[in-house]
Amino acid sequence: MKGYRRYFLNKALWFVVTLVCAFILNFILPRLMPGDPVAAIVTRMAVGMSNATGVQAIYQQYTELFGTNRPMLQQFFIYVNNVFHGDFGFSFSQYPREVADVIKSAIWWTICLQFPAIIVGWLIGNTLGALAAYLKKGFDKVLMPVSILVSNFPAFGMAVILMVVFGVTLKWFPASGGYGFDRIPDFSWQFIWSVIVHYQLPFWSIVLVAIGGQAIGMRSMAIYELNADYVKYSRFMGIKDRKIIGYVFRNAMLPQVTGLALSIGTMVAGALVAEIIFSYPGLGYTMLTAVMGGDYPLISATTLIITLMVLIAMFLLDIIYGFIDPRIKATQLD
Amino acid sequence: MKHTIRQVFRSGKFLLGFIIFLALLLITIFYPLIIKDAPLAIIGRGTFFPPGIYVNVYDSIGSPQYTLMLDDAAANRIASKLSNDDRLAMRDWLVADGIPENQIDINNTKALLDQWENNYDPKKQVEGMTLAKQRYYLRLNTSLQGLLSTEGAIIAANNPQSGALEESDSVAQTDYVNIKEVPNVRVLPLGTDNFGRDVLTELVSALATSLKIGFVAGTVATLIGLVLGLLAGYVGGLMDDIIMFFTNLFTVIPGFVLLILISFSIGQEHRGAFTIAVVIGFTSWVWTTRAVRAQVISLRNRDHVNLSKLSGHSVVHIIVADILPYIASYVVMAFILQISFGILAEAGLSILGLGPKTTEVPTLGLMMKWAMIYQAQILGKWWAYLPVVVTIALITFSMNLMNTGLDQVFNPELRD
Amino acid sequence: MSNVTLEVRELTTKYITRFRENVYAVDHVSLKVEEGKSLGISGESGCGKSTLALSLMGYYFAPLHYTSGEIIIDGRNITGMDPDDIRKSILGTEISYIPQSAMNALNPTQKVIHFIEDVFQAHDPCKTKKEIHEFAKEAFEALGLPAEVLQRYPVELSGGMKQRTVIAVSVVLSPRVLIADEPSSALDVTSQKMVIKMLKSLMENCIIKSMIFITHELPLLYNVTDDIMVMYAGQIVEKATAKEAVFDPLHPYARGLMGSIIVPESGLRDVKLAAIPGVPPNLKNPPAGCQFSERCKYVQPECMVRSIDLREVGAGRAYRCIFSEEQLREAYKNG
Repeated sequence: MKGYRRYFLNKALWFVVTLVCAFILNFILPRLMPGDPVAAIVTRMAVGMSNATGVQAIYQQYTELFGTNRPMLQQFFIYVNNVFHGDFGFSFSQYPREVADVIKSAIWWTICLQFPAIIVGWLIGNTLGALAAYLKKGFDKVLMPVSILVSNFPAFGMAVILMVVFGVTLKWFPASGGYGFDRIPDFSWQFIWSVIVHYQLPFWSIVLVAIGGQAIGMRSMAIYELNADYVKYSRFMGIKDRKIIGYVFRNAMLPQVTGLALSIGTMVAGALVAEIIFSYPGLGYTMLTAVMGGDYPLISATTLIITLMVLIAMFLLDIIYGFIDPRIKATQLD
Repeated sequence: MKHTIRQVFRSGKFLLGFIIFLALLLITIFYPLIIKDAPLAIIGRGTFFPPGIYVNVYDSIGSPQYTLMLDDAAANRIASKLSNDDRLAMRDWLVADGIPENQIDINNTKALLDQWENNYDPKKQVEGMTLAKQRYYLRLNTSLQGLLSTEGAIIAANNPQSGALEESDSVAQTDYVNIKEVPNVRVLPLGTDNFGRDVLTELVSALATSLKIGFVAGTVATLIGLVLGLLAGYVGGLMDDIIMFFTNLFTVIPGFVLLILISFSIGQEHRGAFTIAVVIGFTSWVWTTRAVRAQVISLRNRDHVNLSKLSGHSVVHIIVADILPYIASYVVMAFILQISFGILAEAGLSILGLGPKTTEVPTLGLMMKWAMIYQAQILGKWWAYLPVVVTIALITFSMNLMNTGLDQVFNPELRD
Repeated sequence: MSNVTLEVRELTTKYITRFRENVYAVDHVSLKVEEGKSLGISGESGCGKSTLALSLMGYYFAPLHYTSGEIIIDGRNITGMDPDDIRKSILGTEISYIPQSAMNALNPTQKVIHFIEDVFQAHDPCKTKKEIHEFAKEAFEALGLPAEVLQRYPVELSGGMKQRTVIAVSVVLSPRVLIADEPSSALDVTSQKMVIKMLKSLMENCIIKSMIFITHELPLLYNVTDDIMVMYAGQIVEKATAKEAVFDPLHPYARGLMGSIIVPESGLRDVKLAAIPGVPPNLKNPPAGCQFSERCKYVQPECMVRSIDLREVGAGRAYRCIFSEEQLREAYKNG
């Protein structure tokens, strides 16, 4: 374990630095708008609100929360402080609900949907890509065009198609919601089943697109590795093909893990839009309602949370990579 | 160079992708020349008109009428009013009323209608029938009036002087008009959307806009990526560290998050198509930078570069003459990917509601958004969103096909 | 007469290109290597040296195809053997091949010792891991490599070290014949010396019975091998002992090669570098007649008409030319 210390520290440091930058960006960008942000926001959203005292209350609370009358730096620290206490302020579009509350109810839906979907998609995609590279001929000729086609569907495109085919036409799966409209969340078997059923279409739309993308990448990597010198040499030394394939896939896998880390941002983005299509009660839908309602605090908090999720995922992937690539440990010990 | 181009055009994948892309491009150029309507003009009052040929009823009355004796005309007429489900429902009602089932033949229209007329009584209470069902039978009964009659319809208009309704024309059941002689016929191959706009015209215009956005975004992103990658790769040292720091930062902070934040901050009024494109470009250069930098690093120690250095060529000259030609293939591929990404990013933004203003030009994403808000997919109005999805898929598909083709030309081991 | 470890008779193998063309990369090659002796194969890039090496192992992978000829190792004819048998009993155990740029021949994510374990596993499953470790340690140390190399990943070794490791791994099953393909070309001079020393010690300590050394660097061969074979366009053009091949080559090509070497002893100023003009023929469309005719200084119209056979001159010496030995020596004397 000691050998990893330097590697871990490096990655942890990076994590912290990026987190700080994320905070700063989340804070600064909206404030670059000219004028009093609070007034602009409140007037914009007050169009829909008939509760005058409510508007006053929000304006005051927000000004205090933001401290827009205080210097920028102080505002920033107030902001960070609040965030760390889990206080994101009130949601404009769902007043008097707190932003933290809104996010809390949405975040688990997103995590439970996207996290397994991306992993499953990655696993299946890589396996298929590796098989295509190895088997060549028939399997490859079928897989390649299919993968290219599927990977080119944006996640929401796939979502729409699945929804239309399976949800509306064949009526095999429900086309929207996280669970049946007539259900109250509890731990009854019916509720859980309802959740599972509603889970299918969003899940598979994310998985299918992920498979397409991964398969192509893995196929290229595997082909590249299969032509590598050590493959030929292992053959020269009489080692069985099966064992050599084991070498190849392990080696081809490594850049795929790195690739996953790099592309997880985009994958999450696509998955969020897919969520929206299905009106799945996750962060994607939250974002949509936030934008439509001009609900600035909610948007800001949601983006921050999303960034945090992606950051954590990348950090975890980096750690995992450190474990599976034996060269990392070896070069650390020097 | 010429040889490469020839090879590129021989690659099946590239050719296919290129043809599809070219076809889309040509459609966006030529369609507006043929159909000169404004894409955002609202032509339908009401939402989601299904695709089809719309014939002006008023004009068809005034058009020359021809008599055609067709055998199946009557059957078609009846079938459109009395579906199979309706027949089954009628039988159910009759059975519930006490008529033995074997006396009911749902395929014998006349007999069925006779039985119905003789027995149906809206006041009769049938056990267990919901109110909705009762009303259904009532409506069915009304619509069946005169189903079998062979009389035509009478058109009456107000006499301008007396103000009374006078018969002005009559239409027999065997009267037909030739569509070509009706002055106002509108073909709506894709129907109308939720606002009542012609989907096909809107789609073509949206395609053009999205392509433009993609192109601009792609150019911006590729340029940034190219410059940063070259600087980081070739100059190295501190410059490399700084650029890599920012690149890693922008990798980790998801581009689309930035996109959302920036788009929202800009505010609705300032969000033109061009602005959005530039913003997309500014948040998606990461991948290109990384790829270019990797290539440049592997190139900068090559012999020909060292030779140039020894010959005293300036840094700019070396970059342009010795390095650029070798990374050209990567840059082209990256550019194609960036365009495709730009189009998708715009679509995603628009679905969220952060896309370009809706009043000036439509984009593919905006069409999707409106279709979703009005729940087109659940209502089964496929023409409002499916063509959009297919178009988006076609664009990205053709671009990626081109890219794969190029990849196989530049990296022979990937050829099958 | 000592044992013949490896004998090859009229071996011909071809590549089949994507467009179904036949390229005869090895054209009726015959050679004999005796126990305790080493053979050097020389020639310019693309003349078929590496293909010959691959063909010798009976290792045919598309697009390389066997056409005709025989390969006999220690009296055992391995021509046409089942590929699985070849893998099990020939590759690594009878013949071993050290590929070009052997530095990349090791799996980057595998420790050296694990690879050796796999090699044993594939051929001799009876040995336990402990036994293999012991054996490897002894073998490496005997060859001058520190035992800790076994526990390293390739990325932790220097270029020269990797090369020597690959050589050590190749002979771990004591093959009868070792084929070294450009073992020292990618290294600096010091590493080169170490590699050559190692190869020589392999022969001296009878770990391998014979060696085939492939290189385009002629000076090396003189110091390392007993006999030398020069190849051109897939054919053998000269066979002789090392001394004869370097100081008294008969074939015009071989002579041209020797003439293009800088020999420090003779003083740099006096020697004129003679390059051989032209390029080797395209094997897709080989010329009728002598393959070298287009570039030969002494070419006659006859040369381009019929294919030329090898001419035997004395014990084990041969060359491929229409001219007799006397005619050639006469021509060389006159410049």
